[in-house]
Amino acid sequence: MLPLSLLRAAAGSPLLVELKDGTTYNGRLGTCDAWMNMNLTDVICTSATGERFWKLPSCYIRGSAIKYLRLSDAALDKAVEDEKEQAQRSPAGRGGGRGRGRFDNSAGRGGRGRGRSGLSTGRGTGAGRGRTAAGRGRSGGRGPATQTSSS
Amino acid sequence: MASTLKEWKDKTICVVTCDGRIIIGKLIGHDQVQNLILNEAHERIYSEDTDVEEMPLGLYLVRGDNLCVVGEFDAAKMDDTIRVPEPLPHIYQQQM
Repeated sequence: MLPLSLLRAAAGSPLLVELKDGTTYNGRLGTCDAWMNMNLTDVICTSATGERFWKLPSCYIRGSAIKYLRLSDAALDKAVEDEKEQAQRSPAGRGGGRGRGRFDNSAGRGGRGRGRSGLSTGRGTGAGRGRTAAGRGRSGGRGPATQTSSS
Repeated sequence: MASTLKEWKDKTICVVTCDGRIIIGKLIGHDQVQNLILNEAHERIYSEDTDVEEMPLGLYLVRGDNLCVVGEFDAAKMDDTIRVPEPLPHIYQQQM
């Protein structure tokens, strides 16, 4: 499960956010986006020292300022359910959902690497064979036979 | 040994954050920027005069920015009597 999927599933549930400066924001999650920016409502803000409190009807938090989030366990259950629902809606088949291809190293990258090395050898032999008569003569004269035997 | 976080999925891991906290939890998920979801997380608090304290945290999402070290956790190898040593004294004094 991706952290941002969990966060999206936690919309509407209570949440505690600690910012990098140590202040905490305790409230109900409204909306959030791919940068972890979020809206909270019914917020209690606590200073880093824990000595001062502020009550805010709502606030907006920039994702990059966040240190960590504490979520309710119900959010995890909801996220698991959402994931199942998503799987049903788009049944297994070429990397639907959320960019699985990019994340799974073994599939995309490995494939491309193999492909490229295959292409380069292919190009070498192909060039020898595919040239015009003159070209073929020349490369033949220089000895592609030694080249292929060496490689 | 694990070279990617993927290999620790659904295992209990130990996370050291940039502010020096030590958080233990089961790795439920992670993403490209090392944001982590930790379930049944707890913080281990080391101090000078008491044994290690464990603070339950519940479901935790640690932002990748704040992450310092991630490691596999083995509860059997933990020693709860470890104390944090006293800080070193100053090695020089300001000249007046």
